[in-house]
Formats: sequence, structure tokens, C-alpha cells
Amino acid sequence: MRDWSRLAATLVAALVASGSAHAQEETSASTLYGDLQSVTQSMLSRAAGDGNNFLHPNANYAQTRYYPASQINTGNVRSLRPAWIFQTEIVDTMETSPIVVNGVMYVTTAFNHVYALDARTGKQIWHHKHAMGPVTTYCCGPNNRGVAVAGDKVFMGTLDAKLVALDAKTGKQLWETQIAEAELGYSETMAPSVVENMVLIGTNGGEYGIRGFVKAFDTETGELIWTFHTVPEDSVGVWATHDATGRDMHRDIEAEKAALETMGDPYETLGGGVWQNPAVDLESRRIYFVVGNPSPDLDGSLRPGDNLYTDSLVSVNLDTGEYVCHFQYIAHDVWDLDAVSPPIITTVKDDAGNDVKGILHGGKTGHVYVHKADDCSMIRYSEAMVPQEDMWTLPTAEGARMLPGANGGVEWSPMAIDPSLHLSYAINLHQPMTYTVRSTPYPEGKLWLGGSFDVIPDEAQWGNVTAIDYNTGDIAWQVRTAEPMIGGILATAGGLVFTGEGNGLFKAYDSSNGGELWRFQAGAGVNAPPSSYTVEGRQYIVVAAGGNAQLNYKRGNNIIAFTLAD
Amino acid sequence: MTSRCARLLLLAASVTGLATHPAIAKEGFLLEDEVALCASCHGEDGVPVDPAYPVIWGQQYFYIYTQLRDYGAGRRENDIMTGIAAEYDRDQAKTLAEHFAALAWPEIPVQLQDGDPALAEKGITGGQCSACHGKWQGDSRIPRLAGQQPGYLAQTMRDFKNDVRMNAPDKNSTMKQLDEATIEALSRYLADVDVQ
Repeated sequence: MRDWSRLAATLVAALVASGSAHAQEETSASTLYGDLQSVTQSMLSRAAGDGNNFLHPNANYAQTRYYPASQINTGNVRSLRPAWIFQTEIVDTMETSPIVVNGVMYVTTAFNHVYALDARTGKQIWHHKHAMGPVTTYCCGPNNRGVAVAGDKVFMGTLDAKLVALDAKTGKQLWETQIAEAELGYSETMAPSVVENMVLIGTNGGEYGIRGFVKAFDTETGELIWTFHTVPEDSVGVWATHDATGRDMHRDIEAEKAALETMGDPYETLGGGVWQNPAVDLESRRIYFVVGNPSPDLDGSLRPGDNLYTDSLVSVNLDTGEYVCHFQYIAHDVWDLDAVSPPIITTVKDDAGNDVKGILHGGKTGHVYVHKADDCSMIRYSEAMVPQEDMWTLPTAEGARMLPGANGGVEWSPMAIDPSLHLSYAINLHQPMTYTVRSTPYPEGKLWLGGSFDVIPDEAQWGNVTAIDYNTGDIAWQVRTAEPMIGGILATAGGLVFTGEGNGLFKAYDSSNGGELWRFQAGAGVNAPPSSYTVEGRQYIVVAAGGNAQLNYKRGNNIIAFTLAD
Repeated sequence: MTSRCARLLLLAASVTGLATHPAIAKEGFLLEDEVALCASCHGEDGVPVDPAYPVIWGQQYFYIYTQLRDYGAGRRENDIMTGIAAEYDRDQAKTLAEHFAALAWPEIPVQLQDGDPALAEKGITGGQCSACHGKWQGDSRIPRLAGQQPGYLAQTMRDFKNDVRMNAPDKNSTMKQLDEATIEALSRYLADVDVQ
């Protein structure tokens, strides 16, 4: 502690002496705590067993969001207290997953600010504000879901569709690359992922008539390595009439075939954004991600066919981006009940009861889907976690009610699992909506929903925290919350799950039975995924409380770290 | 409405046919002249001459640019603006957008009525307005609504609701959910939000 104080005093003196006008952006050439060693590939690969750092947006390459430390556990979580609160400059919607590397935390805010903080104290080390271009795009708030770290760099995607690399020690920008044309509706809110020499990132834009992709960029130079288009030039598919659960989607296949003859394949403006990180399987050299809705969201008349690979789980080769397999949940979606929550790799039981490598995905339909990793095929789907009514009623000009509403189910919020209990944990929304279709031509990069989804004002809304046994598909436990849930969840080896609510409550539950063990009122919506880390032998839980623009939850600007009372 | 703005209206009525033509560069384009033309309705000091006209001083650059494009291409219709914007090519439209975006947003006092915030918040949450409009300050393609003229805001919402304005079609069905009382309250509420 004394050493740290001396270092801080030295830094302050150096800044005063230099009279730097940029002190706010670059406070030091070294860190205030610890020796910020480079993040090695070995560290990234072994993150699932790392009880000190939190190196990936979803904890590890398998995206389990299961943290292996157990100092904070069911027996003592009642003693959890705020250790520090850091307030960012931006009082607006927050979806960041805090990343922690050897006692240094990286968080982001709306409009692409990045902060490096001392993870023990919350003291700011540096602050980087992205020099935003004139054209930004977002359907659901000016969000950012965090950074990726590798080597001595921090990577972030931006609302003006750029990928930037920052010096982890100073926050100074090292390079930036334009991922896609911002004026056409491409933009970035997801955290990137880093594997070896590649930064992987998808794109927003399913509400703007983009053609979706996942791209890999060189970590050193920002040069493009490969592109996988989430919409192939032949997007027609097999003319599927039923969804993954066997329900009739009421497609007019003959009308679609006639439209295809007239207008051709709509792949160039078919959407298919990728909103969240891929799960990475280094053993098979594959990645798994989910692809979002087709464009325009509600108007299928302009996009005949199954609209491959929208609303799908997709696997591609890590090194080349070449297609491996896919599974489409909803062909020709006209409800925006797409696939957003990041997939998880874990061992699951197949139909014969054998352990196989599996993929889990929490769908906006309200089901957790369980797949075989080798061919993407579906093993089972869970009980519905939210009410489903009148699926699949087609949107009408007057507006047709159907449940779930268009926010899901499970939105972009990442799930967590506890492999020892073979439970997956999801947060849910119940928001009754009507679906209205209004056909309009492609508006050249402007919002293109093809209608609207409208909340039914007088119907009750609420949320759930739901544990699903992914080996059976049964709901193991479920807890009702006062408001629809969005943000994410964390499971720990301490037998706990942590998640927050739009009303400001941040809660810990017993991961085995859903019993509420602890709560804290954060003063603004807790709508971001929690992380955990350990510094100097003390475990922390950290979460952003900035509210949510999409659901209009109270905005704030707090990063709050909790630890056990002494 | 000023007499010059009224003359513009008459002039525009005779040139609306231009909207169907592809935009070509306006000959003799001088920013100073065009700004003066705009000021005749949008105000010499940024305060529009009519409550139904929008503030464009300090509006978002990309929003102004796309609206000029939409007027010129006939995607958004207005008796005055259609003919004017049809004369600009993209660079000229961008030049104008840059000019007005760089100006300071004017202060226009507005009087809230009892119950406005509650009614407005209900409409905002139901329509998921903040998903795009955030805290109403605007950003790039999203227009600033904070401090905008309440008359213009109310008219715009009615135009969406009644399928008069069609260049943001997703708003049409959203606005159909709002009754007149909510539109009025929401327009005053947004006009009263501090400009940051």
C-alpha cells in the first residue's frame, strides 16, 4: 500500500510538472497497481480455471460465465458490501462486462468511452473517449458491451462501425480500422473476442438492411484476415414450414416462391447481425455464434425464402471463417424472435444419455436450445421460460397480439451455467406486444423494421430468473422479478448466481434452488452482466449500474465492486 | 410566418415537380445565400418564425443531411422543403448540414402542464422511444428532440400517426398507439428537456 501511495504521488507530481492538457486521457505510463503483464494466449485459453482475472466478456472461451472462485459463497454472501463505486462521465445505458487483468479493470460506457481502473479501489488509471465519426447507428441505445484484451492491447468496437486497439497501459489508440460502411447501418455494440492473432467481431444492423458478418482482424495491424457472411448468396434454404419446436409458422410458401421469381434472392439487404461473442473451441478450431433477425424485421414479403442463416446457430472454422454447420430456429422470421444471447459450450447428455460436447443457446422464444457441437443439430429444447401464446400469429396491418413480445424470452443477455449442477441460468422478459406489418422499400441504410412491435400498455410486464436442467430441458427453479430482465448473469463456484434488475436491485441467489440470499439497491438499473475477480486474496463481484435505454430503465453511471465485509 | 417564408411557400408550389428528378448540383450554390433562404423560415437567430417549423440550428449533422436527401427524393414531403432540397446534390446537402449542425441550439421557453411528465413517460415506455432517442439529445441519424418546438413535435407525431409523413415508416404504427392528449403532453415534455 505504501508503495502504491508513493507511485500515485509521483504520478500526480509528474502530471502537474508536465502541465498536460491530456491528463484525463493518459494519466500514467505504468499501472497504479501491480505489474500489468501482457495477456498471453495461455491466460486466455485457461481463463475457465482462473480465479483471479476475468479475461473474457463471458468469462472464458466456452462462455460459461461460471467463475471458479468460491470465497464469496452461500454461507457468507449476506456480508457482501460495496468495496468501491466508480462514476463514469456518461450517465447513460450501460451493458459493459468488466474485464480484469492482474488488478486492472477495463469498462466501457455508452458512446464508446473506455476506463481503466484500479480493481482494488476503483481509482481511475486512464480514460479514453473514442473520436466518434459523424455517422453512428443503434437500434436499442448507444450501448457498448465491453472490451477484449490480449497482449498489451485493449480492443473495442464502436458505434461508427470501427474496431479500435488501445494501449492497455495508457489508453492511447494504436490503430483503428473501419469494419463496414456506417452510413448503410453497420455499427458495433458487442465486445470483440481475441483468439491468438485474431480479433473476432460481428455487426449490428439487422434493423437497417445490412448484410451481416463475422470478421477476423489482425491483432497487430487491424488488417482483415477473413469474413464470414451470415447471409449466403443463396439464402433460400429448404422452405421450412415449422420452427425448431415443430410449430407451424404459417408461411405462404407459394407466394414466397413467386416473389423469389420476381425479385431474386434478397441476400444483400437481408440483415443477420451478430450481436454477441462467439464461443471458441480451440480443440476443434471452430467458433459458434448466433445470427440475428432478417431485415426488414416484420415484413417477410420482401425477403422470400428461409433467409439463411438468420435466427440460427452457426459454426465456422476459426482459422478460415469457412462454414461448418448451422441450425435455424425460425425460418423466415417475421417477429424478431431471433437468436442473440451468446452460445455456451459444455458437456451435455445426448438422447441416448451419453456425454457429448454440446452448445446451449437461450432464445428469444423463451426456450434454451441444446445442440450437438459436431454438427449443430438440436438434441432438445427446454420448457418455455416465459408465457407463449398464439405462436405463430402473423403480423397484421392492425397489429396482432402474440407472446413472447419481440424482446423475448431471452434478449442479448448472456446466460451462465453451473456444470456441477448441469443447470443453465437465464434472465427473461415478459412483455406482451402486438406485431404490426407495414411494407416499405429498402430505405438506404435507415431504420427498416417493416412495421412495429408495440408494448400493450395495460398488460402486466415482469421478468424471471430461470434455471434449466440442460440434460432434461426441465425448469429446475424459477424466480419472478418485478420488471422484465435484461443484462446478464454470473454463476460462481460459491454456489451463487448474481444478476440485476431495472429497478436498481442487484441480487444473489442460491444457484441450486433460487433462494434469494442477498440484495443491494444500486440506485439505477442494473442491466449489465456481472463479473468477478480476486486481488490480493480478496474476491470481488462487480457490475455496472447505468440503466437501459431499450426498456427505459433509470440511467446511471456507476461501476460497483462488492466484497465481503471485514 | 414571415412574408418571405410565405413567398417561398408559393414558389415551392410551382417547383414540386423537381422532386421526381435525380438531384443534381444547384448552379451558383453559395452557402451564404442558401443559409439566408433557410433563415427566412427557420429563423435568423435559430428560432423558427412559426411554431410548426423545426429548430435546425444545432440539429444533428447526419439527420439534417438525410432529411434533405429524403425531401429531394420525395421520400419526405413538404410544400416548401421538397422543391428546395431537390436542387441540392449530396455535397451541397452535406455542406448545409454541416453549417447548421455547428450552430448553437436556441433556447425557446415552454410551459409544462400538470400531468405532462407522467403521461409522456407512459407514452415513451410503451413506444420504446428511448431505445433510439436516448435522452433526447440526438446523435448522428437520431434527431435532437430536447428543446425542439412543441408545435413541430406535435405535428410530426400526428403526421406519423396519420400516415402523412412516411420517411420513417416504423414510426407510423408506433405513433398510432398515442392518443392526442399523450401527443400534446409528450411534445411539451420533450420541448422542456434541457439541451446538453
